[in-house]
Amino acid sequence: MAEVVQQDGLVLNGLTKILGGRVIIDDLHLVVNKGEMVSLLGPSGCGKTTTLRMIAGFLIPDKGDILLDGKDVTTLGPEKRPSAMVFQNYALWPHMTVFNNVAYPLKVRKMQKPEIEKRVHDALGLVNLMHHKDSRPGQISGGEQQRVALARALVQEPDILLLDEPLSNLDAKLRVKVREDIRELQRRLGITTVIVTHDQDEALSISDRIAVMNNGKIEQFSTPQELYDRPETEYVANFIGSLNHVTGGYADGQIVPGSDVVGIRPEDVHFSNEQVSGSFPATVELVVPRGHFCEVYLKRADVELRAFISANVPTAGKQGFARIGKALVYHDGKLIRVA
Amino acid sequence: MTTVKPVVVAESLEARKASRLSVLGFFMALPPMLLVICFVGAPILIAFTFSLGWTTGPNRVVSIIGQEIHKKDQWWGTFGAYKDVFHDSRFPGDLRTTLLVTLISTTLVLTMALGIGIYQRMIGGRIASIMTILTLVPLFVPVVIASWAIHTFYAGDGFMRTLMSHFGIDFPTLTSTSTAIAIGTIWTSLPFAILMVTSGLQSVPDALIETAQDAGAGFFRIIRTVLIPLALTPIVIAGTFTAIGIMGSFTIPLFLGPNQPTMLGVEISNFFGSYNRPQQSIVMAFIVFAAASGIAFIYIWANVRSAKQSGRI
Amino acid sequence: MARKDKARVKTSNPLVKVLLVIFMICMAIFILGPLVWLGVHAFVTNWTYPNLTPDGWTLHWWTKVLDDSALEAAIRNSLIISPIVVLCSMVICLPAAYAAGRMNYAGRKTFLIGMFAANSFPKIGLFASIATLYYALNLMGTVFGIIIIQLLGTIIYMTWIPAAAFAAVPRNLEEAARDAGASKFRVFRTITLRMAMPGILVAIVMSFLASFDEAQGTYLVGAPAIFTMPTEMYSLVQNYPIQVAAVFSLLLAIPSVLLISLARKHIVGGQLAEGFQIK
Repeated sequence: MAEVVQQDGLVLNGLTKILGGRVIIDDLHLVVNKGEMVSLLGPSGCGKTTTLRMIAGFLIPDKGDILLDGKDVTTLGPEKRPSAMVFQNYALWPHMTVFNNVAYPLKVRKMQKPEIEKRVHDALGLVNLMHHKDSRPGQISGGEQQRVALARALVQEPDILLLDEPLSNLDAKLRVKVREDIRELQRRLGITTVIVTHDQDEALSISDRIAVMNNGKIEQFSTPQELYDRPETEYVANFIGSLNHVTGGYADGQIVPGSDVVGIRPEDVHFSNEQVSGSFPATVELVVPRGHFCEVYLKRADVELRAFISANVPTAGKQGFARIGKALVYHDGKLIRVA
Repeated sequence: MTTVKPVVVAESLEARKASRLSVLGFFMALPPMLLVICFVGAPILIAFTFSLGWTTGPNRVVSIIGQEIHKKDQWWGTFGAYKDVFHDSRFPGDLRTTLLVTLISTTLVLTMALGIGIYQRMIGGRIASIMTILTLVPLFVPVVIASWAIHTFYAGDGFMRTLMSHFGIDFPTLTSTSTAIAIGTIWTSLPFAILMVTSGLQSVPDALIETAQDAGAGFFRIIRTVLIPLALTPIVIAGTFTAIGIMGSFTIPLFLGPNQPTMLGVEISNFFGSYNRPQQSIVMAFIVFAAASGIAFIYIWANVRSAKQSGRI
Repeated sequence: MARKDKARVKTSNPLVKVLLVIFMICMAIFILGPLVWLGVHAFVTNWTYPNLTPDGWTLHWWTKVLDDSALEAAIRNSLIISPIVVLCSMVICLPAAYAAGRMNYAGRKTFLIGMFAANSFPKIGLFASIATLYYALNLMGTVFGIIIIQLLGTIIYMTWIPAAAFAAVPRNLEEAARDAGASKFRVFRTITLRMAMPGILVAIVMSFLASFDEAQGTYLVGAPAIFTMPTEMYSLVQNYPIQVAAVFSLLLAIPSVLLISLARKHIVGGQLAEGFQIK
């Protein structure tokens, strides 16, 4: 058992949740520092939303504690918790105007009218929505609804902001813009934030650290760069970025017979016409243009490798030499060596 | 879950627009419309002229059979039958009973439906499901049987008095009082109101309740500011249908009410049949209709409001 | 999953629990009490007030009801007229329901609201009005007249509920079927109609009950020539001992119980409620 750490920010200590006889969350530990932005990343059904709902107070864990700034909030209901959540579908009340949606948490706190007005205006200003304050949620676009939901969460000045797949209902272009806005806002306000997502791009670009979840457990919790460079398990390596899988061993830039799994990022596979040290002969099977780079399928005897190549793209059928820049070697799914 | 519905609505709206003013649609809709025009619209209109003293044409036969018929003395008719009714010594009592029973029963039915519906939505569990199933039982029972069953249950030798007498309590005989009418109307109106209200409350998305919880709102505030406003349309529909149904009810006050004063539904029948004063009977029907129209207006307002809110208008 | 996670509040207060149970018992007595009390009377010889148990048990009243030719005629009339009414109602209303749910035509909204307005005129007043028309048309005391009267009560169910059901069938399912090569009619039969079926079923059940239970209008138009089961009840409760009415009530309740049990899932599932909102 890990010790309870006395510190600011969010501490999840040995959380376990059983729903309908199934263990959804299994002895989960996580420490989020104050002012940090952390993503819970994983496929659907991995337990990330359940974890978020426990942090928010909608679910009470069967085992374990939740500490916020050193205070135990494990059994506190959502209305008493200093957290604010933005729901996947934004959950704006259709019968209230944008202003009233944002003002609601303050009215609940029995704040004075002028104070409410001021705070709501500040919050709407923060998300650039002052001009829509008298609109109803049904009359504004998805991106704007998103921002209203964000304003409604921020106006509560929560100790922790929880975002449940906040971008999944936006189209691709808008998603990139909104996630940058969220990131910028989060930095500026220095608010501790936990975001749930199944989109690795989103997680990589927005978070200080990422917790990759699988089957109710955290597989790896580290910075985006580290997650990419040193995925601790085969599962994480697969989930983050693309990967060539080869069963065998790895020695001196060569794939050799063996029983481990060698994972090679396509961008670490290079192709040239001349032989250099460590390279081996290969044939170009197929070239798929991917915009600013090409996906090239290379074949060497029984091994097929994908490579991302952006300059001097070869044509199919061409013979040449492939070189592996970096490989991750896994034994029983665990990283044993980076070469 | 929450996003699916509006999409369907928008889709069907689009399809409707595509087939704007379909001639086929008009003709398909025609048969029930004609039936209603011929056997509801026309009779009501004819009856209205009859109430104003037009005694020729389709009103000829009934004018010959009936007694105390007022014939029109102006070009537009006469208010003779209306004056008869308003000067009738039993009318004020009947009207008061009708309105009072409608008001009290509707209020109680709505309160019970809301109470059970909210309990089921917010707390749930076995008690809630048993209660909902229990309140649906009257749906299975024809009104005639229900009225008679309630009649015997609260009668002088009924169950309530039998049971209470063993505890030394002299339970009042409720049968043949306005209280019994109220009991009967509540009993028969409950299932529809419960169905409407619970389905309205259940369709409020969880996330909307949870955000309110997250924002710090307590149990009653969530009910007041989120749950009820969002389910207002089905609640209003339940209320108006209940009120209109109760106001025009006949069998229940006939079996359960006192002879005097009773509800106008019974009096309409009495004047038409027993007293053979059809014109006065029709006048009473129009008085009830006027009151029901006021309630119907609320219903239409509620429907328009919900259409506006979901952006359909 | 969604059901399990419904936003809920916990109650732990035992006092609240006790109050709830008491409330539930009161509701049970209020709702079930009269039915049980009447039902038991179908099997008793006599019940002297204020005894808690009847004087004796008997099946005598059942033979009395089943042997009575007037009562038998009423049962027969009901079982013949109601199915006819439902069939007529389906033929007249279902195309209109489809149109109301799926098409836009001149006066669509007026149509839906008109159906409702017809419902807000007090039934007994309407029947009195219709009676004057029936005298003129010579429809008093005829089966045809009764069928029309009962038909009126079914229209609101047979148009509104299926209309909502038709409207709720997703277009892309039909388009997929068309795309797969099905003819328009086949799509309607295998997709649209199939998916709207629960709503139509509820409408059929509610219409049958509306017709079967209709008493006021049928009495006004039919009596004294034609009696159905519910109109027979009017005279029954005045002329026979309570036990006979009890037996007759049990018989009268059989179709309702059977039919509603059949469609219970859909009625509770919101088909009925969905139909009562004009869209």
